[in-house]
Amino acid sequence: MHFAAHLWMPFFDFVFMRRALIGGLVLACSTAPLGVFLILRRMSLIGDAVAHGILPGAALGFWFAGLSLPALTLGGLGAGLGMAGLSAWITRRTGLREDASLAAIYPISLAAGVLILGIAGKRLDLLHLLFGSALAVDETTLSGMLWVSGFSLIAMTLIYKPLLLDTLDPLFLQTVSRLGPLAHGLFLTLVVLNLVIGFQAIGALMVVGLMMLPAIASRFWSRRLPVLIAVSAVLGCLSVWLGLLLSFYYSLPSGPAIVLVAGAGYLLSVVFGPVHGLLRRPPLLSSQ
Amino acid sequence: MITCTALRWGAPGQPLTPPVDFTLEKGSLTGVIGANGTGKSSLLKVIAGLQKPLTGKVSVNVPRRGGLAFLPQQQHLDRQFPISLQELVAAGFWGLQLSPQQRSQRLQAVLEDWCLSGLEQRPLMALSGGQLQRALLARMSLSESSVLLLDEPHAALDEEGQALCWKHIHAWHASGRTLVVVCHDLASVRHHTQNVLQIKSTGCLLGPSKELIRPQPRMQVA
Repeated sequence: MHFAAHLWMPFFDFVFMRRALIGGLVLACSTAPLGVFLILRRMSLIGDAVAHGILPGAALGFWFAGLSLPALTLGGLGAGLGMAGLSAWITRRTGLREDASLAAIYPISLAAGVLILGIAGKRLDLLHLLFGSALAVDETTLSGMLWVSGFSLIAMTLIYKPLLLDTLDPLFLQTVSRLGPLAHGLFLTLVVLNLVIGFQAIGALMVVGLMMLPAIASRFWSRRLPVLIAVSAVLGCLSVWLGLLLSFYYSLPSGPAIVLVAGAGYLLSVVFGPVHGLLRRPPLLSSQ
Repeated sequence: MITCTALRWGAPGQPLTPPVDFTLEKGSLTGVIGANGTGKSSLLKVIAGLQKPLTGKVSVNVPRRGGLAFLPQQQHLDRQFPISLQELVAAGFWGLQLSPQQRSQRLQAVLEDWCLSGLEQRPLMALSGGQLQRALLARMSLSESSVLLLDEPHAALDEEGQALCWKHIHAWHASGRTLVVVCHDLASVRHHTQNVLQIKSTGCLLGPSKELIRPQPRMQVA
C-alpha cells in the first residue's frame, strides 16, 4: 500500500478512529487559545490543578449515576469550577498567591476523589479517569466535545479583547471597563469545561498536555498573539493525528501517544524555533 | 472635582497618614510630592478607584467608567507579552465610538506626538524603557477622560522626553482637564504646576507649589 494511504486509512476504515480523530482535532483547536492565555497569565499550572480537582466531582457522579456522560460531566464541572472559584476567593480575601492557593486545594480534591471512589467500592478504573482512552469516544461524547469546542471558540472570540487587556494591563482595563472580572471568570470556566469534556476522551491528565504543550511550543515560533494561537492549534491537531496513528499501528495507549507527540513537538520547537530557540543565532547586524 | 474627606489609605491596619481632607478643583494641575513610601502611588490608586480607602471617602465627579485615566508606573507590565507597540497604544480607543479612518488618523497623530513613528510594529520586548513609557503616555492621549492621574510619568524618560511630557501635561491642562502628577523632581514640579500636595506621615499639605517648594539650589560641581 502507498505510504500516504497509511496516514488516512485507519480513519476511513474504522468509526472509532474517526470519532477519536474528530474529537481530538476540535479539542486541540479550542484548547489552543486557552493554553496560550494561561501561559500569558502565568497560570500554566492551573490546568494540572483543575484536572486533579475534577476527580471528586467525577467520582461522585460515577457513584450516583454510573458511567454516564452527563453525570460525570456535571460532577467534574461542579468540582473543577468549585475548586477554581474557592482558590480565587481565598486569594482575593487573604492575598495568598494564586498558585499557592491552587496548590493547596488540588491535593485535597485529588485525595477526596480517590477516597470517594474507594468508599463507592465500584470498579471505576482510576487510571482510566486520569489517562483516558481516545478510542472509547462514543457518539454522545463526540457530540459533547463538538458543542464544547464550538462554544468555547465563540466565547473566546467574544472576550478576546478584554481578556487580552486584563492579562497585559489589568489596572488600565479596570479604569475603562468593568469587563475584566467577567472575562477572567468566563475564561476559567472555559478552561474547566474543556478539561472536563477532554478527560472523558483522553484522560484528565492527558488533556492538560494537549492544552499546554502546543501552547508553550508556539512561543518559539512567533511574537504575535494571533499567530501564537494559530501555531498552537496546528501543533495540537498534528499531535492528535500522529498520536492516533502511532497508537493504531503500534497498539499504544492513545492518550499518552498524543501527548508524547505534542511533547516531541515542544522539544523540537525549543531546539529549532526561530524565536529564542537554541539553534537560532541572533543576527549581529539588524536588517533595518 | 476630586474631594477626599477624612481619607486614610495604605495597607490594611497600617494607614499612611492621619485622616486627611482636601479638594482638587476642576481644571487644576496638582503635583504630588513626598518621600518614598509615603503613599503617593497608592493615593492615586485610591482616587482611581483601584484600591479601597481604609476610612473616609473619595469622590471624583466623573462618569464611573472612562471618565478617569490612570497612568501607573510601568513596572507592572509584562515585557514578554506578544503584542506590538501599536496594539498597546490602540487600546486607548476602548469605549470610544470612532470610524476606522478616524482611529487610524488619531493613532498616527499621537504616535507622531510622542515621537514613536517607525516603531509601530516593534514587539514590547524590543522597546526601551523610555519608548514604552512614551507608548503608555500615547495610549493615555487617546482617552477623552476629564481626569488624568499620572504616576511618575517622567520616569525612564530622557531630557527630551521629559520636556515632551511636560508639554503634553500643559496641553491637557489647557484643554480644561484635571491633572494629578506624582513626580520626584521638585524643581520641575515647582516650575510646571500651580498647586502641590505634599504627603508626609504626619499629614498632607495642599498649597501653591511656589510656596510649598523652596527654590532648588543649583547643584555645585567641584
